[in-house]
Amino acid sequence: MYHIEVRHLKKYYEVHHKAPGFWGSLRSLVRRETRTVRAVDDISFTVAPGEIVGFLGPNGAGKTTTLKVLSGLLYPTAGEVRVLGFTPHERQPAFLRQITLVMGQKQQLLWDLPAIETLLINKAIYEIPDDEFRRTLDELTELLELGTLLTKQVRKLSLGERMKCELAAALLHRPKVLFLDEPTIGLDVTMQAKVRQFIAEYNARYGATVLLTSHYMADVAALAKRVIIIDHGHLVYDGDLETLVQQVAPYKVITVTLRQSVSPSVLKPFGHVLAANGVKVSIQVPRGTTSRVAARLLQEFAVDDLTIEEPPLEEIIQHVFTGGIREASPDVA
Amino acid sequence: MRYVRLLWLFFKNSLLVEMEYRVNFALNTLLSVLWLGVRLAAVLAFFVHRPTIGGWTLPEALIVLGLFNVFSGIIDAVLRPNMDQIVEHIRKGTMDFILTKPVNSQFLASLRVFVVWNLADVVLGLGVIVYALGRLDFRPSSAQVAVFAALLVAGVVIVYAFWMLLVTLAFWFVRVSNITELFSTFFTAGRFPVTVYPDWVRWLLTFIVPVALLTTFPAASLLGRLTATYALLSLGMAAGLLVASAAFWNYAVRHYASASS
Repeated sequence: MYHIEVRHLKKYYEVHHKAPGFWGSLRSLVRRETRTVRAVDDISFTVAPGEIVGFLGPNGAGKTTTLKVLSGLLYPTAGEVRVLGFTPHERQPAFLRQITLVMGQKQQLLWDLPAIETLLINKAIYEIPDDEFRRTLDELTELLELGTLLTKQVRKLSLGERMKCELAAALLHRPKVLFLDEPTIGLDVTMQAKVRQFIAEYNARYGATVLLTSHYMADVAALAKRVIIIDHGHLVYDGDLETLVQQVAPYKVITVTLRQSVSPSVLKPFGHVLAANGVKVSIQVPRGTTSRVAARLLQEFAVDDLTIEEPPLEEIIQHVFTGGIREASPDVA
Repeated sequence: MRYVRLLWLFFKNSLLVEMEYRVNFALNTLLSVLWLGVRLAAVLAFFVHRPTIGGWTLPEALIVLGLFNVFSGIIDAVLRPNMDQIVEHIRKGTMDFILTKPVNSQFLASLRVFVVWNLADVVLGLGVIVYALGRLDFRPSSAQVAVFAALLVAGVVIVYAFWMLLVTLAFWFVRVSNITELFSTFFTAGRFPVTVYPDWVRWLLTFIVPVALLTTFPAASLLGRLTATYALLSLGMAAGLLVASAAFWNYAVRHYASASS
């Protein structure tokens, strides 16, 4: 039994095309030219209960559209979608009670009132009994470190504080499936980490299924073991994040700080020199040889510091989009 | 029960928000009184040279005016502010939050905010009706009051449903204030008993833009002048329009593309 099942999902939009300028506007009044945008074009995947899946793709790839179809906001053009056994776009109350949608760029909190008022409205909407409400609120307050934030006027909160309250409002009814669309957008690094940690905790505590989109690779790397990558409405990769990294980027980066600078040519035999910045040098090394190369470096040079890192995820994803995955992934249709 | 509780919460929240603008409250009430004065003057002007217009004496016509005031209060307190909200929700895409809640989305979207002070118009309007009945020295029977109350409720339903039919167009056009302005223009015709208008206007105001059902019909029922057929017409229209507005809303939601991302 899967929590989310998507089979051959397609979502096309008709958009009006307007030539620029005044005459363009005038002409479009008379004759509207429409163009079909294939936001999602034949995507299939399944998500098991309790899984956290990272949804990646460049802007306009179809991530948000897919989330909206899954949460029942959009009608699919074709294909079959089941979430918790329901057909989302029927928007049955029993379905809506078990899901939630959090969008980093939109807020449901009432702007002029303290966040607690929105929570009380949601309590009434989801018909949460008093004692359960208090218990959940206590837990969320603890997990999100809400403190006294809930009783402050929403417009007086910082972006990060608002996002915390937003999450509390969205999770009050303890949904089984979470659709998170850019939940950390615009937040500073510490706040991002906190939101991330919260999502992980929530998932662990309630066994909730999480489908998450984010621009910040750190979010995805920290939370999701599995990623789904889509581009131009097509599924490009679906699988383990680690496997993806190994396939697309079969190397690691060793960065050493030397006691005295050396010429880059001396380092050539160790691997591909990415940057030689005086005493600080970065070398790209094949995965399997990393520890051996590191040992040799330590042996042959006076080294102050040495770190071994995974290549930045941004780079890997970039690589996927420029076609690097085609030979690497077994899942390409 | 859940809906009553929600309604109460929304009302309370709106009150909380407005408490912050107390000066606004004073100004609004003053404006309500001024507007009532203007409306009264307009009606009085018609009676300067004649004892009746369209078969209605001045105090009788005042009942119609009182009802007009009641409904303009409801429009300003409930319908207009919620329309603005709906347009905002569609423009910004926050309608998503309404549509993912397990309650009737039309209810949630259309009865969310109240400009409570504008309800002063409702109170003033009812005051005018009581005053007019006093001037007439007429005590309606309890049956007449009951029919009046039913028609008043029907009127509220009609104006809500009709307004929602217009506002739902926002799902396609986003900006709908021009359309509702058009309604307001027709609505002002409701200050007078419809019998003052030529036949075709009367027909228009009864069946197309049902303004007569809001003011003239309940007033006539209070005075014991409304036939059962017309009372039933009003109730039927209310039910029909409510069903139509719900159907249109659901149709619109299905076509909702939810703005931006």
